[in-house]
Amino acid sequence: MTVLTEEKPKIGQQYVAALRARFGSAIQDEAWQAQDQVTVTVDLNSTPEIVEYLYYQQGGWLASMAGNDERPLNGHFALYYILSVEGNPAKQVSPNGAQDGETSFASEKAYMVVRTLIPPHSLEFPAVAPRVPAAIWYEREVRDMFGLRPIGLPDERRLVLPDDWPDELYPLRKDTMDYRYRPEPTTEEETYEFINVEGEGIVQIPLGPLHITSDEPGHFRLFVDGENIVDADYRLFYVHRGMEKLAETRLHYDQVTFLADRICGICGYAHNVAYATSIERALKIEAPERAQFIRTILLEVERLHSHLLNLGLACHFVGFDTGFMQFFRIREKSMKMAEILTGSRKTYGMNLIGGVRRDILKEQRVMSLQLLSELREDTTRLVGMLLETPNIVQRTLNIGRLEPQVARDYSPVGPNLRGSGFARDIRVLHPYCAYEKVPWHTVYKDGCDVLARTLIRAEEFFEAASIIERCLDGMPEGPVLTEGFTYKPYQYALGYVEAPRGEDIHWSMLGDNQKLYRWKCRASSYNNWPALRYMLRGNTISDAALIVASIDPCYSCTERVTVVDVRKKKVTLVPYKEMERYCRERKDSPLKSGKTSFA
Amino acid sequence: MLKLIKEVLRVGEATLPYPFAPMEMMPGFRGKPVHDPELCIACAACAIACPPNAISITTDLDQGYQSWHLFVGRCIYCARCEEVCPTGAISLSPNFELAVMNKDDLREQADYQLAACSQCGIFFAPVKEIEYMLAMLQQSGASVENVAIARQLLSVCPECKRKNDIPKLASLYQNNSVSQEAV
Repeated sequence: MTVLTEEKPKIGQQYVAALRARFGSAIQDEAWQAQDQVTVTVDLNSTPEIVEYLYYQQGGWLASMAGNDERPLNGHFALYYILSVEGNPAKQVSPNGAQDGETSFASEKAYMVVRTLIPPHSLEFPAVAPRVPAAIWYEREVRDMFGLRPIGLPDERRLVLPDDWPDELYPLRKDTMDYRYRPEPTTEEETYEFINVEGEGIVQIPLGPLHITSDEPGHFRLFVDGENIVDADYRLFYVHRGMEKLAETRLHYDQVTFLADRICGICGYAHNVAYATSIERALKIEAPERAQFIRTILLEVERLHSHLLNLGLACHFVGFDTGFMQFFRIREKSMKMAEILTGSRKTYGMNLIGGVRRDILKEQRVMSLQLLSELREDTTRLVGMLLETPNIVQRTLNIGRLEPQVARDYSPVGPNLRGSGFARDIRVLHPYCAYEKVPWHTVYKDGCDVLARTLIRAEEFFEAASIIERCLDGMPEGPVLTEGFTYKPYQYALGYVEAPRGEDIHWSMLGDNQKLYRWKCRASSYNNWPALRYMLRGNTISDAALIVASIDPCYSCTERVTVVDVRKKKVTLVPYKEMERYCRERKDSPLKSGKTSFA
Repeated sequence: MLKLIKEVLRVGEATLPYPFAPMEMMPGFRGKPVHDPELCIACAACAIACPPNAISITTDLDQGYQSWHLFVGRCIYCARCEEVCPTGAISLSPNFELAVMNKDDLREQADYQLAACSQCGIFFAPVKEIEYMLAMLQQSGASVENVAIARQLLSVCPECKRKNDIPKLASLYQNNSVSQEAV
């Protein structure tokens, strides 16, 4: 049975019309992938202006950006700037009066993809990042992976590739390398140039790098004046796994769901759904309604255990370790629920293109509802206790502020953004699965600080629990898998899911060999990292670990800290455990005694 | 603080006795795949379906056998093999205890005899797979004679079949008075 998506009125046409009116012949083509998904091909030199216009004038947020080697298809490299265009909230107030000489739009929410072609003889494109800061990491990545040169990019350091990677080897080009190829390291030493802030009394603290206790290590460098953080720089991608290359060359397109699971140890199912829906959209099929409900339930189960984990960590970092243990105790119930519903504690292996592999039976439904009511009760008690701890408010209020303007410029996602007063949730803006079919509401706060983000997670936990209950009760009967569809070469589309940490965006393009031509998957933390620098500024180093944990990063190990005292020209390496201890106890600064410095 | 102490006392001990007592897994939990070499016909459907290549097939055309390999170290417990297996020879057990001292203990192998072509003598398909196809035919109500014909047909390798077909096709064309050179 194949369900074809019916022709529905297109959402976002007004934005395309506005682009055509303003940029004229620079808009070369438009192609619709879904009712609310359009790809507009634009002139290379106008790209920064067009992205900036959509971003700031039409309420756009940069969801992702994908590079693609399309030389075998049309002789060019291509860039796809993926924006969620949501209209300008300020202009919604007066829908009739056009302001700033701009046409005002109501509030159509559409995904607009700005596509531009780069001729292979020049390999250059004008960088968008100077106009839209959110693009900085994406443009650095495209430079590493495809060898495309962003002209005017403010930061030309490598992002993804290691320092010892050969210069002229661009992994994602179609003609460079087999996915199994491992080049010899070109250098023995780490040559990454960290930003150096120098000045009277400024001290540098590297946190990290390499110790994999969690899923991803990172190297941080904090610049401090006394105990105050002046600036921060960090280097991630130490464990880049080459999954995109692997999916494009080794796996069949219907096996990639199982790889997408493994992107994350927490929000694996969110990636899985994002990938599966991107292919379903590209092939113009839909999963049956019952499968949509099952997906929604499992996505929210993931949110339950993810938020409980982060709440536990919040306890840990303010020195409330009993709370940490208690949160992990009740988190086990959500893991049990995943085991009941999917046969795997990590909700792995549930999706296929076109639906899910396993139905939810009555017995499983009853057990899940029982666990949910226990979870709700336990969490209510524990959150109450956490908030009554005098330490928590004292330690988190006005700490690690993500200013709304920084948030607007860098497109962070999830509770991180919602803590700064933006009610952005993909589940509402671009509804998928069954989120439109059950009542629930978006949680957001104006605090901009660690406290706001923690409170959002606590409230979202209860929202997630009621979404699961309502879905379990309201699941329609019917099949769970759409079958009998045909693979269509070179179709592409977006898939998106609001994971516990924010949106996961997958852009997939099919090839002509039952494989993917290009798969760009973007995990939520990718959009959260660039703004972290601004969140650390102005805080003390005893709060650094707390702030990093408050974006709930999909990496957790900052193994040790290096402190560089610029006044004394002294570099101090502080083990991460020591930083963490200082964060919890706030006694005996590791910088003062010198007892832990061994540099 | 008092509340916290109360809570800790209320909950009591949450730690499970495992590993000193067995751990109950939920029904439908997917653990280590269990292979039944008796039921397996070495058709390789599982090897094709397996996303991480935990299951693989190697063929030894000189000695005339096909080997089925499982390396649990690569397994992701998705149970795609279980779904595609025509004989139910592989299923995922609730066993999750996979720690071994020697990595090779995570490997399993089963060898299957290949049938030799009755004409050229080259090994071409597992004996059990051919027997399975004939048994299916019998089950579906084919007459004894037809099964015998099928057995005859299945004893020849695809290459020889192709060669055998050429003169047959040629004679067909001849009967239809098509010029022989065209064939």
